[in-house]
Amino acid sequence: MAITFKKVDRNAKLTLWEASYVPEILRGMSITMRHFLTNMAGLVMELAGGRKHRKIMTLYYPEEDPVIPPSYRGRPALVRRSDGLEKCVACGLCEVICPPHCISIVGAERENGERYPLTYTLDGSRCIFCGLCEEACPKEAIIMSHDWKNLCEYDRSKMIYSKEQLLYPERNLVRRLEAIRGRYFGIKRYKNN
Amino acid sequence: MITLPDLVETVVKIAFILGLTIGFYAPIIGWIERKQSAVMQDRIGGNRAAILGFTVIGLFHSLADAIKLIFKEDFVPRGAETALHRLAPVISVVPALIAFAVIPFGGTYNLWGHETRLVIADLDVGVLYVFAIASLATYGVVIAGWASNNNWSLLGALRAAAQMFSYEVAMGLTIIGLVMFYQSLSLVEIVDKQENFYHWGIIWHFPAFILFLTCAIAENKRIPFDTPEAESELVAGYFTEYSGMKFIMFWTAEFLEIVTISALCVTLFFGGHQIPFVTVSGLIDFLGFLGPNGANAAAMLIGVAVFIIKLTLLIMLQMSIRWTLPRFRYDQVMKLGWKMILPASLIWIFLVGAGILTGVMPAV
Ligand code: SF4
Ligand code: SF4
Repeated sequence: MAITFKKVDRNAKLTLWEASYVPEILRGMSITMRHFLTNMAGLVMELAGGRKHRKIMTLYYPEEDPVIPPSYRGRPALVRRSDGLEKCVACGLCEVICPPHCISIVGAERENGERYPLTYTLDGSRCIFCGLCEEACPKEAIIMSHDWKNLCEYDRSKMIYSKEQLLYPERNLVRRLEAIRGRYFGIKRYKNN
Repeated sequence: MITLPDLVETVVKIAFILGLTIGFYAPIIGWIERKQSAVMQDRIGGNRAAILGFTVIGLFHSLADAIKLIFKEDFVPRGAETALHRLAPVISVVPALIAFAVIPFGGTYNLWGHETRLVIADLDVGVLYVFAIASLATYGVVIAGWASNNNWSLLGALRAAAQMFSYEVAMGLTIIGLVMFYQSLSLVEIVDKQENFYHWGIIWHFPAFILFLTCAIAENKRIPFDTPEAESELVAGYFTEYSGMKFIMFWTAEFLEIVTISALCVTLFFGGHQIPFVTVSGLIDFLGFLGPNGANAAAMLIGVAVFIIKLTLLIMLQMSIRWTLPRFRYDQVMKLGWKMILPASLIWIFLVGAGILTGVMPAV
């Protein structure tokens, strides 16, 4: 629903029509009544199993989930390649840039000479969801996922995510990837090669 | 000489009215107020209070409120007049309740040889009685404000006293035209005369209806006339210092007054229990296949149902007024009362008189 603005002139001289209150009150009430009736019709239709059609923007949260925009920054996630290994090359740039220092990496080398993170720990209780790690990464290996639910814990130690917890297949992160590529490189559509 | 059937009848009617107002409308209005305002403002309104997982679209919130408030501390501020502080909520509730005694909620029915008139007390001067009772409500407010030993309460009480007094004058005058039209002060007679749809008050007295409703809302101190309890100026006005059960009583009084106002409007302007184009005797004849007693009982139920439907619609009208309009400034309230509504009602009395004299208005 578009939000519109109206400038109010507080020193306006009322005309006789306006000063007689009743017509203007009826006009005001017709507006609220219109909202009432449209919303009621929408709610009744929804109860009867119809499409959600109403002006009410309230979300029944635990039952309904909000629509997450593509550029939303959720919990950071490591990208898993199609062969099941992580894309990260353990360069340590994200570790350096992260403002609250919540990433710690131990790098190692595979037999074929590829570098990879032996451990990759991200302290979710310290992460500020700034997205700088994603921006710094030369390999598009760490991406802000759209995870926003169930990130809270009663115990801080449970919020220290290991590499296994952070690894996501690339297709789960496509929307965010498209958004950042569009922003940084002007690429409108992301082609999965 | 009062006979046993009469006594039983009266007790049943009183029980019905008490059940309808306190038992049904008081919690339901709390719910209507929440839900209607929410839907009007593109919200949903409270819907989480549940018993065994059933929320019944938020109906249990009234219950939850009541339980919460009952278990709250009953606080009397230091320096308050304890006795009067305790008395004030009662004085507010009672007038709202006893005004119902003269409001007919059905016609006259012959049940098992017993003539039953669905009104608790058929007074000749019902209209005057209602106004007399309505003016008593001022005492509760003023005593509450004065006994609380609080500046804001006192200010609220002063405003309430001035406002209620001013609007009572105007409210009395708005009804005079109606009394001239129906030539009776008895609410029962006024309703009986509205059997003919073309004699309904709303048809001939629409301006009086608007004036009356305005005055009645002002009497009830609800938005747009809630300056006595203006929370942005006076904390909560005259009931700032009340908590727990006594706070509920003030709210109940306000809710009951909504019902009373609606009941009065229904009685005076919307034909009470009458269905348009259907007379009570016609309805009883129509239901004749149920036998004489059955027909009367069915007609009675229909009459009461029609009355309750009209009542509820008018309550919802008051709610939408309350949630549409902003509050008047205090001087505007006074100006509206004395400079606009009072002259307007006088003009209306003149017009009605002229209409009756010249025969424009039908004689009823
Ligand atoms: S989003 Fe910001 S705080 Fe969180 S890991 Fe990345 S750089 Fe660190
Ligand atoms: S910046 Fe990217 S490639 Fe480098 S360590 Fe971090 S996630 Fe791995």
